[in-house]
Amino acid sequence: MKKTLSILLATVFAFSLAACGTRGEQSATQAPSASASSSAAGPEGIDTSQHVVINYMTTGDIPNNDTDAVMAELNKVLTEKVNAELNIRWIEWTDYMTNYNLTLASQDGSVDLVGTASDWLDAWPNSQNGAFLPLSEELLKTYAPQTYAQVPAENWELCKFNGQIYLIPEDNYAQWINHGFMYRGDYAREAGIANGVHNWADLEKYFQYIKDSYPDVVPWDAKADASIVTQMSTGWNHSKTPNITIDGLRQEVFFGESKDNPYTVSRYFLEGAELVNFAQTMKKWNDAGFWREDVLNNTVDTREAMYAGQSGADQHHVSTWYSTVRPEMDKKQPGSDVGFFLFGEENSNVISINITHGAMAIASKSKNPERALMVYDLLRNDPEIYRLFQYGREGVDYTVDGNMLLRPDGFDNALQGISSNFWWGRNDSLELRQSNFAWDEYDKVTPIYAEMAVPYPYGQVIFDLEPISTELDTISNIYSTYMPIIVFGKSADPAAYVQEFRDALKNAGYEKAINEVESQLASVYGS
Amino acid sequence: MKKNKIGLDRTDFIIRGVTYAIGSIGALACVIPFLLILASSFSSEDAIRRTGFTIWPADFSTYSYSLILRTPKQLVGAYIVTILLTLIGTAVGLFIVAMTGYALQRADFPFRNAIMFFIYFSSLFSAGLVPFYIVMTQAYHLRDSYLAILIPLLMNPWLIVLMKNFAKSVPHEITESGKIDGAGDFAIFTRLIVPMLTPALATIGLFIAIGYWNEWYYSSLFLTSNVEYRPLQYQLYRVINQIAALRNTVAGSVVTITNIPAETLKMATAVLATGPIILFYPFVQKYFVAGVTVGAVKG
Amino acid sequence: MEARAKIAWHVKKAAKYKTLLLMCLPAIIFFIFMSYVPLPGMWVAFLRFDYNKGLFKSPFVGWKNFEFLFTSGQMWLLLRNTILYNVAFILVGNVVQMALSILLSEVASDRFRKTAQSIMFLPYFISAVLVSLLVYNLINYDYGFISNLVRGSGGEMAKLYSMPKAWPVIIVLVNLWQTTGYGCIVYFAAIMGIDPSIMEAARVDGANGLQRIRRITIPMLKPTFVILLLFAVGGILKGNFGLFYNLVGNNSSLFSTTDIIETYVYRSMLNSFNFSQGSAVGLFQSVVGFGVVMACNSLVKRIEPDYALF
Repeated sequence: MKKTLSILLATVFAFSLAACGTRGEQSATQAPSASASSSAAGPEGIDTSQHVVINYMTTGDIPNNDTDAVMAELNKVLTEKVNAELNIRWIEWTDYMTNYNLTLASQDGSVDLVGTASDWLDAWPNSQNGAFLPLSEELLKTYAPQTYAQVPAENWELCKFNGQIYLIPEDNYAQWINHGFMYRGDYAREAGIANGVHNWADLEKYFQYIKDSYPDVVPWDAKADASIVTQMSTGWNHSKTPNITIDGLRQEVFFGESKDNPYTVSRYFLEGAELVNFAQTMKKWNDAGFWREDVLNNTVDTREAMYAGQSGADQHHVSTWYSTVRPEMDKKQPGSDVGFFLFGEENSNVISINITHGAMAIASKSKNPERALMVYDLLRNDPEIYRLFQYGREGVDYTVDGNMLLRPDGFDNALQGISSNFWWGRNDSLELRQSNFAWDEYDKVTPIYAEMAVPYPYGQVIFDLEPISTELDTISNIYSTYMPIIVFGKSADPAAYVQEFRDALKNAGYEKAINEVESQLASVYGS
Repeated sequence: MKKNKIGLDRTDFIIRGVTYAIGSIGALACVIPFLLILASSFSSEDAIRRTGFTIWPADFSTYSYSLILRTPKQLVGAYIVTILLTLIGTAVGLFIVAMTGYALQRADFPFRNAIMFFIYFSSLFSAGLVPFYIVMTQAYHLRDSYLAILIPLLMNPWLIVLMKNFAKSVPHEITESGKIDGAGDFAIFTRLIVPMLTPALATIGLFIAIGYWNEWYYSSLFLTSNVEYRPLQYQLYRVINQIAALRNTVAGSVVTITNIPAETLKMATAVLATGPIILFYPFVQKYFVAGVTVGAVKG
Repeated sequence: MEARAKIAWHVKKAAKYKTLLLMCLPAIIFFIFMSYVPLPGMWVAFLRFDYNKGLFKSPFVGWKNFEFLFTSGQMWLLLRNTILYNVAFILVGNVVQMALSILLSEVASDRFRKTAQSIMFLPYFISAVLVSLLVYNLINYDYGFISNLVRGSGGEMAKLYSMPKAWPVIIVLVNLWQTTGYGCIVYFAAIMGIDPSIMEAARVDGANGLQRIRRITIPMLKPTFVILLLFAVGGILKGNFGLFYNLVGNNSSLFSTTDIIETYVYRSMLNSFNFSQGSAVGLFQSVVGFGVVMACNSLVKRIEPDYALF
């Protein structure tokens, strides 16, 4: 009986999986052919007689504000224009990686538009795994004509895998997400750093001043999150070497040598004095008490501590600084005059953002890929829809003054307005400047950064990690074991500890991985 | 438990002393952290960051509670969902577990070992996340359905074995006497066995109920944002994890969070999610009464 | 012919016990649908899983998904930690639970017993994140509750978060704290099942408290203990990720005594979401657990056939 049963079960299971397998392939092949036949008719001839719901999947927590009300309004307009409505499918931040990938792995047509990113949301692995629909140029031209026209051909090239477009890039939106330290201008001046903190030596002086003069303030009440550890390590690298981070290789241990020699992989982690130097400096900082003794397990929220005047610094990117921390600190710690120290600025090593940092994809089993594209085209390019979706209702949630967006008095984004988390197609031609951001500061620094910045040099390569996946796993593990200790100066003998780290990397096949990365770079860019 | 006064000697008193001492220390060890949680849920965020946890609220504040209660609909909905799931799941699960446990301990039941192995084996090998997820969503179509939480938690092999073990303590003569009276196996179970197993049923019911009450995992997998009300512990789990997740990973996006009192909010949510258990537990304790099981036959 | 006779005999027997079979049926159906149907999906452990190709057409990669476990040179440490922690949890946990439930039910007054039980039950409802927050706020060097107490009484607080040796004790204590009240329920119910007349008789015969506990209560709890044990050893290689990850986090200076298979796997796959590797680890843990359980069960069967699971 047991045997028959197990056979029965296996068949049931087989059917359930086989069924979804074939369905996927069908839709993948159907969609382009459908587009081919209708493209002849042109955009005007598109059949939208059937009302459809387009499900848009994004990361973010379900909002408690007026999103539903604004969406109702938005859907009225969408129905009018393309006979479709939009439903947001939230992947909540809690375990978002698991849920995001599970949802893509078990598609059943309940998702159409997928917000994705090549650096923080596995856009390429998911394209390789068959989660996204390949988008033919006809398809894009027909159903997302404005977007297609807006994205330059060379940018479409950066969205291709195996010759097919999988992602629609957010390439007309300027943002600075380079990391660095937010520090208090008032303390810096008191410390005698008149022009603000612009290198690691200034930062040390700044921290030491706080340590000496403000016993109740932790110079940097850091929390050893994986991301903070990585940013610190990379930040030192960028500030002290001309290295450039190569994305898409799981852990930030692969750097191109320099902007002039980008396709040689740096051996920063294997040899040279800079890493040792870093470890020794951080050991000094730790011993000086710039962070808490138990920093590796610290549970304090650094930013909140900074708002409360209990931490002298916080580490994040430029955007966070001018949009959030600076305005908030002006309110909570008047006169704090929070400035930004950008990693890499001391030796002009700044890379501008990769255009697939935010991108939209179509789910491979979407039932309405054409209409999904039409909706996306409007969300990105139609002024009325764009502003509804980004800011809420004009007159209720905001008013416009020139290119400034003004919120009504007492407006709280958590309670009012809309949260659409549409980070996959923002458009500078339609953007408004939110009046509560620190634009003066932004306008002061970003031209300087822009001057230094060079474009991300590896946009065209999508690495095949298969040949080195085991090595990468082990490297990832070694990095996350050793790096927190190095970054927060917790080893007794930093030089010896760095050597141990380097030996472990070598044993894990790091050199093999470097060679593989170099050869894949060479095959794309020539040697 | 009533104790006869006879036979108390020195060792009894020593044991008694030790028991009270250990019991009190254990209870204190459990209650103090809870007081810390309670006190910090009523403290201001700044104070917590400055001084850590205190046994008495530092800088009394109800801000985090007001933040949670700002959208009472969610909270009330979460309570209702959790309570309904717990009640229905416990009733159905307990019935099946008790029935199976009784059948499997019957020495005269020839298939009992095979069935037991079949059940037990499932606890050793699990298919893993993806196959389970795919089967649940694509074969059973349980995405966004409360059944996706209700069903998996109904029972587990451990509870069935436990029940089987408890049922063994019921003398076989009871089953025999039932048979002589001409009752069928099911009637014997419902009329004769169930009444004698109150403590066992209370125990197992409690385990099932706790499983439902503490559940967040299946909710996080199967209840997408299309579902308006999610179970209580899942809400708690979200609050506790989302702030960290936000800071942690969204390297590049502008996410504005206004004034979330991270620590105190976590504590307040914990208080709201655990509180009802304190009220519920004594109610179950009532059924942990000795002697019900065997008294009936031996007379 | 013989096979046919055998089937006929089975059918006859099944017919005779059809009520009992029917009583087991809901449970059997439950396990078929919840546990056995997804089981063939374990095959993904051997595939490079392609969402569109599914279980049957995805490319087969053999043992590749298992490799990362063994290439690191950490396997021995991980196995040692995982197993030792589990053994400690099982043994310490059960002994304490058993002792506590015996003492409370034997000696304490009703009200004391009930209050103590309710209170000790509470920690079970606190999630691992909060537990770690509590622990940090108790023992961190700068402002921990205990650190403050120690300093207040003139002592010098140890820097526990850089002392790997302290963590086995801390973790076992935390686990004990969290699961004792819950675990006591089983033993308590088992004690309730003991025929009071036996106790009465022993008392009349002049047995004192200690003797009664040793001669009657403990032997009566043995089957419960054995079953708990058999269930626990199946998960000998499975660790409580939430507990370890939240307590230790990124503090790699403690890894030598706190790193278990789950936390290692988590770190290895931190930036690469790979279902197949996850399944591979699960399969490895299950196979080992299965072997250990089979061995233990047959051992138990030899000594006390009644206590065996099957």
